[in-house]
Amino acid sequence: MAAAKTRASSFSRNLSAAAPSQGPGLKCGPNGLVFLSSGIPDLDKILGGGFPLGSLVMVMEDAEAPHHMLLLRNFMAQGLVHNQPLLYASPARDPRGFLGTLPSPAASKDNKSYETDPDQSKNLQEKGLRIAWQYKKYFGENQLNFDGQKGSLSLDGKHEYSNEFDLRKPLDRHFLNRQHVDCVSIQDSPDLSVLRDRCSTFSSQFPRNDGSVSCAGRIAIQSFCAPQCAYSNMEWDMLSFIRSLKSMVRSSNSVAIITFPPSLLSPSFCKRWQHMADTLLSVKAIPDEDKDLAQLLTGYQEMVGFLNVHKVARINTQVPVILEATTFSIKLQKRRYLVLECLNQAPVDGSSGTSYGTSGSCSGSSKAGNLDF
Amino acid sequence: MAESICRLLRDGALEGEHAPALTIKDSIASPFGFHVFAHVLSQLSSFILAGKSQSRGLVVVCFSRSPSFYLELLKNKGIDVVSSDKRIQTLDCYSDPLGWKSRLTETGNFMACSHETSISRTTNVFKDVKHMDKLYNSIVELGKGLVGGGKIRFSVAIDSVDEMLRHASMSSVSGLLSKLRSHDQVSSIFWLLHSDLHEAKVTAVLEYLSSMVAGLEPLHQPANGQRGDMENFSLIEHNLKKGKFHVRFKRRNGRVRVMVQFSLQLSEKERIDKANVVLPFEHQGNGKPIQIYDGRRSLADSKHERPVGATETVQTSEDSGRGEIIYYRDSDDEMPDSDEDPDDDLDI
Repeated sequence: MAAAKTRASSFSRNLSAAAPSQGPGLKCGPNGLVFLSSGIPDLDKILGGGFPLGSLVMVMEDAEAPHHMLLLRNFMAQGLVHNQPLLYASPARDPRGFLGTLPSPAASKDNKSYETDPDQSKNLQEKGLRIAWQYKKYFGENQLNFDGQKGSLSLDGKHEYSNEFDLRKPLDRHFLNRQHVDCVSIQDSPDLSVLRDRCSTFSSQFPRNDGSVSCAGRIAIQSFCAPQCAYSNMEWDMLSFIRSLKSMVRSSNSVAIITFPPSLLSPSFCKRWQHMADTLLSVKAIPDEDKDLAQLLTGYQEMVGFLNVHKVARINTQVPVILEATTFSIKLQKRRYLVLECLNQAPVDGSSGTSYGTSGSCSGSSKAGNLDF
Repeated sequence: MAESICRLLRDGALEGEHAPALTIKDSIASPFGFHVFAHVLSQLSSFILAGKSQSRGLVVVCFSRSPSFYLELLKNKGIDVVSSDKRIQTLDCYSDPLGWKSRLTETGNFMACSHETSISRTTNVFKDVKHMDKLYNSIVELGKGLVGGGKIRFSVAIDSVDEMLRHASMSSVSGLLSKLRSHDQVSSIFWLLHSDLHEAKVTAVLEYLSSMVAGLEPLHQPANGQRGDMENFSLIEHNLKKGKFHVRFKRRNGRVRVMVQFSLQLSEKERIDKANVVLPFEHQGNGKPIQIYDGRRSLADSKHERPVGATETVQTSEDSGRGEIIYYRDSDDEMPDSDEDPDDDLDI
């Protein structure tokens, strides 16, 4: 009987994957991605939600300043707060010592008090950027943040997706005493087999399947090509390690972050390593007591360095990310909270009439001037 | 500016922090690295002996010059070495770095001279420079011997990282330096490097490992690498007397402080050297072609033959009878070619 069958497509919507119940600290994104937070709310916003599971993040250090440690600390602390297992490798003799410097989450009400721009940001957050919609572009919120402005500062539920960390307050001991914090010292190992095995066993704890993600893991490797490591002159081996780490991470629900000082690598390898990364960031030191820079940039006094976003992970899609701004200044608000602010280009013609930077400047500073960044 | 460096080394490390580390780097174009090293060494020693610094002892690891040279140098700078053997110790990696002499003595073919077998109170001979971990242990042992255990700190000075790199790999040398920096009892550490003896990567690594980099650069860059050109010659000569002292400090607030000074703090030496300078066009009328070498030779002499600390006194004695600037233009004995047009003699 050729009954008129309703034309059922051979594709059936997999409803279970549409809104999976995620574990704490995880957020769904477009293209089937699941994000976890970097520990820095501003960075999550810039990257469009956070670090996607299965991606490899690489941070290029500046030999002259330890800003990559700030990124690592926040990343690791965020994972511990969300109960996500952590594997940490560093060239120090005793990597556990670094865990003592991890910051504690700030009390959540501090999230909203951005002292540098009290009136504007408060208003905007209260009204959900509806009335002041034209100021959206000055706050660097790009369209990728599909969850809406409140997404990353979600207050619903016990856990916030992304915490502000107070760098002056160390993390509670009880977060560190749990079993799932593993440390590896990479200084004395003659080759990378030990580290490779540890990463492999770690990432196999979170196999990726079609179901919902219950738990995600974080791998943090600090100063990967540090000169005191015995393998540091084996450039091809290090590259192949990165390649295998990337494949381990891709097939599991984890995120790996590797920091390395590019000045210690030969230029061709430096380029190869950069190509390996899904998300590539770099940090840069700023000169101290530099009068020219102080004139050029507002808020120079509070800046500790620059962060550049070179590449943003694009998994499951062909569409690239084009950020409005790629250079951000790293500031420590009240010497505690890490914030990233974008640097605006100076207005082209400072002499005649209107200058853009007088109101709602991206840096959030209330100072207005001819060269307002 | 050298004061800020010495001050940072003197103040040492905070609890839980790596010890401040200074790299002094120079090159053949501006070879004053050793002068800076000697200056820092004597400053730090005087701070330590006066009790003004965090560290209570100093270990000098001697690779390129003998320990007695350093003791002489400190003595010449007014530091009482005899009584300071409780505070300053040297590790002698100069006399027998690979242990050859002791092995030869064992075979009986070699009679060690008496002065070599005597071990002075302030020096200890190290014979195994290929093994950086043993060197590390010796340095730490020596330091602990000076200051005891516990929380008291000592400083370390390494006179030549180049020599270390001759014998051991980059990663083991970096391992030693970073272990020393992170040792609880090390207050500060500094070393000298001749950057043109190595590939760029080595300099990059040592800069990575240090918290202060003091680089000596020539004031004037020669136009090309050729040295035969007279103009370049004088430029090079100038560079051997004056240089640019360029320091980068990695500050605790995460910023980088850059300071540049356009002449070296060798004021006494500078004055004397200035007098030694023969301006390029001058020597054409002198009739003494050898004068153009004067500035360099006196510098070279003082570096290799005598301890550097005695430079000031040495210079004045060598000065007599040499290197004055003689202005021929204004003086009575006019040289025949200077002013006259030689064609004036023609009668047409």
